[in-house]
Amino acid sequence: MQGAAHLYDGQSATRHPVQVVLSRERQALVITGAGHAAPLVWPLQDLRELHDHADEGQLILTRHLETGDESLRDPARLVIEDPEMAAWLRRTRPRLARRDLRAGTWRRIGLRAGGALAAVLLMIFVILPALAGTLSRLIPMEKEIAFGRDVKAQIERVFGATEAGELDCSGPDGLAALDRMVARLTEGQEIGYPLEVSVIDHEMMNAFAMPGGQIVVMRGLLEGADGPDMVAAVLAHEIGHVVHRDPTRNALRTAGSVGLLGLLFGDFSGGAAMVFLGERMISASYSRNAEAKADAFAFDMLRSAGLPPSALGDMFERFRQKFGDDDGPGAHFASHPRLSDRIAAAGAASTGDSPHRPALSPQDWRALQDICDIRANTRDSD
Amino acid sequence: MNDGNFGQGEYTGDGKALFWLALRTGCLTLLTLGIYRFWGKTRIRRYIWSSARLEGSRFEYTGTGLEMFLGFLLAVVFLAVYLGLIQILLFWFGLTILAEPQTPGQALLQMAGFSLSAVAVLPFIFFAIYRARRYKMARTRWRGIRFGMEKAAWGYAFRAMGYWALTLLSLGLLTPLMTFRLEKYMTDRSWFGTARFVQQGRWTALYGCMWHILNGLALFACGALSLVLDTPMLAVLLLPVGAVWLVIGVISYQVQSFAYLSRHKVLGGTVAFEASPRTRTVIGTYLLGALLLGLGLSVVTGVLGGIAAFLLFGRDIDPTGGGLQPAMIPPVLITVAGYLLTLIAARAGALALITQPILKHYVTTLGVTNLPALAEIRQRAADTGADAEGFADALDIGGAI
Repeated sequence: MQGAAHLYDGQSATRHPVQVVLSRERQALVITGAGHAAPLVWPLQDLRELHDHADEGQLILTRHLETGDESLRDPARLVIEDPEMAAWLRRTRPRLARRDLRAGTWRRIGLRAGGALAAVLLMIFVILPALAGTLSRLIPMEKEIAFGRDVKAQIERVFGATEAGELDCSGPDGLAALDRMVARLTEGQEIGYPLEVSVIDHEMMNAFAMPGGQIVVMRGLLEGADGPDMVAAVLAHEIGHVVHRDPTRNALRTAGSVGLLGLLFGDFSGGAAMVFLGERMISASYSRNAEAKADAFAFDMLRSAGLPPSALGDMFERFRQKFGDDDGPGAHFASHPRLSDRIAAAGAASTGDSPHRPALSPQDWRALQDICDIRANTRDSD
Repeated sequence: MNDGNFGQGEYTGDGKALFWLALRTGCLTLLTLGIYRFWGKTRIRRYIWSSARLEGSRFEYTGTGLEMFLGFLLAVVFLAVYLGLIQILLFWFGLTILAEPQTPGQALLQMAGFSLSAVAVLPFIFFAIYRARRYKMARTRWRGIRFGMEKAAWGYAFRAMGYWALTLLSLGLLTPLMTFRLEKYMTDRSWFGTARFVQQGRWTALYGCMWHILNGLALFACGALSLVLDTPMLAVLLLPVGAVWLVIGVISYQVQSFAYLSRHKVLGGTVAFEASPRTRTVIGTYLLGALLLGLGLSVVTGVLGGIAAFLLFGRDIDPTGGGLQPAMIPPVLITVAGYLLTLIAARAGALALITQPILKHYVTTLGVTNLPALAEIRQRAADTGADAEGFADALDIGGAI
């Protein structure tokens, strides 16, 4: 086996026409004519080819060699265009296609990947939440209230309003009853924000706290509750979020971690979905903690208002009847602790409830349940 | 002309081979949740580099997917910390000056706050642009000799910010100054083996390349003027023509400024370059490629959509029932898979039908004079490559190849 080829020696940009022959022991290629006095000897087991080469008529060989380069390759290249020689080499040298890794490569990959993961986790779970807590205390209150109104307007848009306040329920007796309930709950308590509780005309059984003391109760919750105590319990829970500044902190933390996740998942098909999922998981792990704290706050508030903490448990029981408990893998994405745990906590907090005065009188309770008979916009058009 | 002194660039890449390579690597990228993209990009570059030939010798790309991956992890650590902090601080800054701005000053401040997040990554973007070019140069070889670039990414980032500010302040009039000086900064730090590149020429010469941009703007201005003068018929004619002319002008500027700058590069004091790309060919190639790609994609989506519809049809699905029904799962899976495959095919198709033909035009209109001087050039030391384009990848810059 012998033939003509070209050699680039890796030292100069000269193109050397060379003769290639198999050595007598058939262990190496002997390359003569490269401008050196002695021929070059390339052991067969060290030969490697260049991958993904665009010219199928060429076989470009190099040698496996310990170098400081990006790969373990001799900078010299042997270009073989003789089809017989190329075919012989491809047939008899399976090692041509081998990719050689430097020793300790896996360790390097592990260290880098571990370091990157640690930095990201540290940011997401330690630094950003701590920073969000500090920064949320540094926002002037009137700005936070303005931000809360903004958020409320956005939520209303989600539920189909075309302008802010359009879905607000405003039955006058109902509003008065709601005020009485809030006053009873917050009597003698330091909230830190001017509370603005409103009812939105929507069938969803839910309530939200927003930055700056805004609380929204949905009509569905008033209809689903068995009595005023349950609504008061939910309100106490949302007031807990307000006092703990959870909504503002959450918004700040989300801003940071979305920026960071966008960087990680930004560059392949479905990246946006990964960012969304990632943010859901992170925020779920935070809000589970925040929900438990708001529950504990609600128990204290209910007790000092002369109401039974078990009312919150009763409300959760209604949720469970309606939606079922979230178990299984989905539970990890859910932003709230498992309902059965929370019901148990509410039961434990209310040992020995004595008979009590309900949160609202029967006629006030009826007025609150009918609050959505009059909506802000319909009243305006009267 | 061919007396052994002058060499013309050749490009032998095949559209079909590149398409299949890009499709395979795209699918692997999807299956590995994006990790394989570094290896995929490397393989595509190896193919494209080895398709370019000068004086009988093919170029070689020696980068590895592994080093790109490691570089990306390194960049993630820096950028995760930096971007996380910047984002949260900017959001807080936005909040504290939020609410309906009372004075124009506050409104301005608020706008500044929101656009700051883009400004905050800007130095990193220019830094990454220089680093990416340095990495590509350091991993390119011809006749076994390495290209290379000096470590000067921060100097580039500061200059780029300065020249961009100048360009914006001059309403684009100083664009040639920016184009020329930034290219000169990079060229004067580039090497082939032991020989250094030098950018010659004058920045004012690039005004000649702006001719069609000026034409487009003039037509636009005439259209606006005719609106003011209440002759809407004229405006209807002039405004669209002006807009199209402006787009052509921008492309023409890119192509012709590249040609001018290439013609005025000198390697090692003696090797000079010829470059004569035609704007017409670049635009024509782009339009033809986009047309073919559009046709191909509409056939593919039509077939996939038909399969999904066929599977959906005749199944036991209650149209009034909400939520996801078990019978709907296979068609939904096929639709999602079809969408992702179409996306990958579109990228591969754009590479094979648009990027590669345009690249081929650039390479084949490039020539080198004084070839014998090249043979005197010696090898240069290897460059570690630093972050191996990690920053560029994390910041989503760098384009198709």
